[in-house]
Amino acid sequence: MANDDVLLQLSGVTRTFGGLTAVDGVDLTVRRGQIYSIIGPNGAGKTTVFNLITGIYRPTSGDVTLDGNSIVGYTPDRVLRAGVARTFQNIRLFNNMTVLENVLVGQHVRFPGDLISIVFHLPNYNRAERAARARAIELLGFFGPSMVALQDEYALNLSYADRRRVEVARALGSNPKLLMLDEPTAGMNDAETAEAVGYIQALRRDFGVTILLIEHKLQVTMGLSDRIAVLDYGKKIAEGLPDEIRTNELVIEAYLGRKAAI
Amino acid sequence: MSVRSGTRPEPAWRARLRALLRDTTLAGRPLEWYLSGWRLALILLVVMVIFPWLVGSTFVADAIAVGIYITLAVGLNIVVGYAGLLDLGYVAFFAIGSYAEATGTFGALQLNSVTGEVIHTPVLPFWPLLVIGALVAGIFGIVLGAPTLRLRGDYLAIVTLGFGEIVPILFNYFPFWFGNTGMSALPPADINLGGLTITFSDPLNRIPFYYVVLAVVALVILGSFSLRDSSLGRAWVAIREDETAAASSGVNLVRTKLLAFGLGATMGGLGGVLNGAYIGAISPNDFPFFVSITVLMMIVLGGIGSIWGVTLGAIILRFIDVDLLGRISQFVQANPVVNNPVSPLHFLSTVDFNQAKYLIYGIMLLLMILFRPQGIIPDVRRRRELKGIGAAVESTSAIGVLEREEAGAELAAVDTLDQTTYAGPGSDDIGRSGD
Repeated sequence: MANDDVLLQLSGVTRTFGGLTAVDGVDLTVRRGQIYSIIGPNGAGKTTVFNLITGIYRPTSGDVTLDGNSIVGYTPDRVLRAGVARTFQNIRLFNNMTVLENVLVGQHVRFPGDLISIVFHLPNYNRAERAARARAIELLGFFGPSMVALQDEYALNLSYADRRRVEVARALGSNPKLLMLDEPTAGMNDAETAEAVGYIQALRRDFGVTILLIEHKLQVTMGLSDRIAVLDYGKKIAEGLPDEIRTNELVIEAYLGRKAAI
Repeated sequence: MSVRSGTRPEPAWRARLRALLRDTTLAGRPLEWYLSGWRLALILLVVMVIFPWLVGSTFVADAIAVGIYITLAVGLNIVVGYAGLLDLGYVAFFAIGSYAEATGTFGALQLNSVTGEVIHTPVLPFWPLLVIGALVAGIFGIVLGAPTLRLRGDYLAIVTLGFGEIVPILFNYFPFWFGNTGMSALPPADINLGGLTITFSDPLNRIPFYYVVLAVVALVILGSFSLRDSSLGRAWVAIREDETAAASSGVNLVRTKLLAFGLGATMGGLGGVLNGAYIGAISPNDFPFFVSITVLMMIVLGGIGSIWGVTLGAIILRFIDVDLLGRISQFVQANPVVNNPVSPLHFLSTVDFNQAKYLIYGIMLLLMILFRPQGIIPDVRRRRELKGIGAAVESTSAIGVLEREEAGAELAAVDTLDQTTYAGPGSDDIGRSGD
């Protein structure tokens, strides 16, 4: 199935923890330029799917390919180098680093790796450092001048919504092909959610990234996504356009609960 | 950079000192201008360059002993302070450096096959060994670091402690290194400039060797600053704060941790080479576990992660060890009250305060942990971490733990799902957000 359009493909991805099958034979096909959502009830295995793609877990079986190349068994940093960056459901910033430093760590792969350049701050290192700082300001600027003003603030002191923004800026630092957002609007009020929806669309437009997201708020998902996959008990029970998902009986059953379906 | 939360009003004496530094001017600049950044380093360097000419030869020897431990403390600080990996076997690299120097300058044991006589042939002089010893130690740092990468916290400490014990035992075991006797009367390091020979490890004139140590210490400190303020330094902090997030930001955990081990070990090896040349005799007994503990204490005392802090920690503890305790013993024993056989304090005349070294270290450490856990000159970030401002994800939050947690969470979630009732048709929330 060679298809230039396909960026990320999961085929039959399964992961078990002890006796529990958290993800069960999931197939996903994310095409370049899409905003693709994974939805499903709590514990459906959505975050586990993210962890399987980004190399935090290794699939028990099945294959994950990026641009047609398998990335199974890659460590998280290699997955990032391959072009997949992510954020975390529970925001994992480096709390005792400043906002700027957080975004600089996100650009780690753009620095020279050899010790000599680093220790002696050789010209190639200094160039990388200057470029990374300029880029970090640019990335923060994407979220408005108020974020740029916060560059020297410790990450911990930020508001919740700002912390989410910094995490996205950090993830963008590596110029990813695929940006994976794990519940980007979790814990946000309506105004913040609306703003987040706006910037997710702008991300695709301004950075040309494909976006894979996990989202709980149906309104957000329906309005934003080109395509949606629904997980329940680790299995993909449906996939399609937002309108198809909205009317899919299996999905309604999964969400309304079995009792309601009887 | 502002530290908004967790700041206390500064004590009056410090405010006064700050005002004094700001208001006193020298050549049109306030004093504080001279005492910041590289200017402070330059002033310190100048002071240290003229130091041997200001003090007696005892203090020059003390300074060499201190300098060797500064090298060790700054090196271990990279592993413990920057990367947050608790290494209790750091003495291994000190031993490897020392043995590299001794093996090179003295030569390994050989037996004359005819007479059975013990012979040894020097291989290399001190100078190339300074580089080779450091590199060998650095390589062993990576070799010994590799199997510990999957460990953290207590387990890492225990395994590294084991390495620290094994290395001197190996040196003891092989006749090649003269076993328990070790090597003594190591040839001094010399530089031959035409007809003029400068002996660097002449016990009667320590000043030339003092400059060798000073140069090494200056380079090690400079290198340490450079590492801290680099992408690698940031990666170490990131790993310390949150391994998973660091890895997902492109930090190669294996490589980054091994670099910390390797660079720390390189500096330990440098200290070892200097030690071999300075002492002129080494044996496996010179490298007990307490060397590792002492270096670690220097770091904790001075301020974990802070270069000036650990330097000061090394100066204080090493000075107590090599100079102060001897002086106290002498002073007490010469005291007439103690000398008097009928005095109740007469028992003190038999006390050797050098024996109380670890007792004194222990008390200092205890007081420090109780009253100033961040160290004498704290590192800004470490101070935040200690005060729990960060409440950073605990350093044990490795991928393994995460895996268990999330597997547990998945189980719990499956459990609750059965009891979940739908929130109502008007709701657009699917369940609740995960945390």
